[in-house]
Amino acid sequence: MKRKSSTEPKLQVQNRKIRSKGVSQWNIAWRRFKKNRAALAGALIIGFVIFLAAFDALIAPFPPNATPGFYVGEARVPPSLKYLFGTDRLGHDVFSQVVYGARSALYVGFGAAAIAMSLAVLVGLISGYYGGLVDNILMRTTEIFLVIPFLLILLVFLKVITAIVPSGVGGLSIVMIMIGVFSWAPNARIIRGEVLRVKESEFIEASKALGASKRRIIFKHVFPNVLHIIIVLTTLMIATAILVEAAVSFLGFGDTAAITWGQQLQLANEAVKEAWWEGVFPGLFITLLVLGFSLLGNGLRDALDPRLRE
Amino acid sequence: MIRYIIRRILYLIPLFFGILIIVFAATRVAGNPVQLMTTQNPHITPEARQHLTEYYGLDKPLYYQFFIFLAELFQGNLGNSYALRGGIAVTTLIGDYAWLTFELQLAALFFSLLIAIPIGIISAKRQYSKLDVTVTTTSILGTCIPIFYMGIIAIIIFAYFLGWFPAGGAHSILPERYPFGSYALDELWHMALPTAVLTFATLAPIVLLVRSSMLEVLRQDYILAARASGLSERSVVYKHALRNALIPVVTYVGLYFGAMLAGAPITEKVFNWPGVGRLFVEATTKLDFPIIMGITIFITIMTLIANLITDIAYGYIDPRIRVE
Repeated sequence: MKRKSSTEPKLQVQNRKIRSKGVSQWNIAWRRFKKNRAALAGALIIGFVIFLAAFDALIAPFPPNATPGFYVGEARVPPSLKYLFGTDRLGHDVFSQVVYGARSALYVGFGAAAIAMSLAVLVGLISGYYGGLVDNILMRTTEIFLVIPFLLILLVFLKVITAIVPSGVGGLSIVMIMIGVFSWAPNARIIRGEVLRVKESEFIEASKALGASKRRIIFKHVFPNVLHIIIVLTTLMIATAILVEAAVSFLGFGDTAAITWGQQLQLANEAVKEAWWEGVFPGLFITLLVLGFSLLGNGLRDALDPRLRE
Repeated sequence: MIRYIIRRILYLIPLFFGILIIVFAATRVAGNPVQLMTTQNPHITPEARQHLTEYYGLDKPLYYQFFIFLAELFQGNLGNSYALRGGIAVTTLIGDYAWLTFELQLAALFFSLLIAIPIGIISAKRQYSKLDVTVTTTSILGTCIPIFYMGIIAIIIFAYFLGWFPAGGAHSILPERYPFGSYALDELWHMALPTAVLTFATLAPIVLLVRSSMLEVLRQDYILAARASGLSERSVVYKHALRNALIPVVTYVGLYFGAMLAGAPITEKVFNWPGVGRLFVEATTKLDFPIIMGITIFITIMTLIANLITDIAYGYIDPRIRVE
């Protein structure tokens, strides 16, 4: 579909010089994306959190894990000018901790999504393109990962692995890897479906007729045509990974050495009655960031889907 | 139809075995469980460790342990707990906790379907109206709020500030506090808040699904034909469109229910609800592997049954599926 339209302007360019640049796929997508206010808001939220994470030490009034309120009798005090979001039981400044949590959330979100999507793309491409026995084996494996009680298995693996790994060794990375390893399955299935659709196109048949190798067809022809789905799924996967990390930390299976929003909610959960501010603010940031990635993902889906093009 | 059902059941068997292998691997990936459980105990002697290892049959080769586990599983035996209530049988323990989990999750699923389907339909019928925008925005927001955060907010507002509902647990401690002295009413009163939160969380994705599915169906030619032949709008939407629009919803309900059960630890932790989810968290913290495996298998079986029911319902609604 896309190829057909892009050949004509190219021929024109060769015959006579045209000053204006040709309109690429990405130009069109960007034009559509710009019009989508919800998606722009999502990008803005993500930008804001990335800003927080990048300059956390400058933004936060107190150093990480500092307990400014502890010795001066200001533990668990409500929000004020000195402590914007109040302090918790140990006198941590909730605002500072929330700012430092941004980096953990982004780290786990991007990292887990990278792992999950690499696996998903690999499985989806191979399964969809080769078909037959390979497809059968890969899809049965995918189904196992789809039906398995994801959170339960994740908790067990985290608990067991942190029990054998000496404490302090990359706890947050373990959480990230585990989330990635267990959440590729739904994405692999969607990518496979898309590959199956692309595989039937005429241009694939044409390159087959020209004698292109299977690997070349997969990476040079199929992959670019499912890339838009992969981008959308990656964005949504980041949102899911952030939610899962928060849940895992909330249940007490996260990295206790790291500062994460989920962890803050876990501590807050013990004292919601006395100190509502301990939980309300970190949770707000989780929601905000997840919302940002969801809005961006939905916006990208609308902008990039060639079938929705007018 | 019967052949279709049998085919679906046969199809679930390898799935079940695959999951069993992963669950088993999860509990053994770090080596001997006794070693793990006793690292915190300074008083344990190597002899005691050896004795425990032999007692639980953990000195046998892995494949042997796995076959023993399978053989016991098919006799309905999930082993005994390592740590809880003096080595109570896992099946008994699950039996004690399972109903409370089901009660909560099923109620939430029921209410969310009851609310989500009409809302999704109305929203689709008036696409881009103010109502539609409100519904979609709220639903997208609903999918982004972590359920435990929603729970904490609900507890702060409804349990502490307003004092309408208890903050946690399934029953009042003192029988004098039962509403009208009724044990059942007390449970319902405790259930209200977690059910409401869980319903809202489950509701959001279903609303979006019903809406998009309905929109797609309403655009099809046969709907145009139905309208052209002069059928009332009501009949077009509720009779002709709805039946096809619900097909994707039916397929998702099974998956949702599985995901809800697997997510039980979260809700049950927030509301301190004594179900299998909370039990699972407790067992995992203590590395009580028989309980961990027992609950995981139990939830897997429930998920597979939910999927099977979904498949059957799917085959019933959509005749094309039956003849693959």
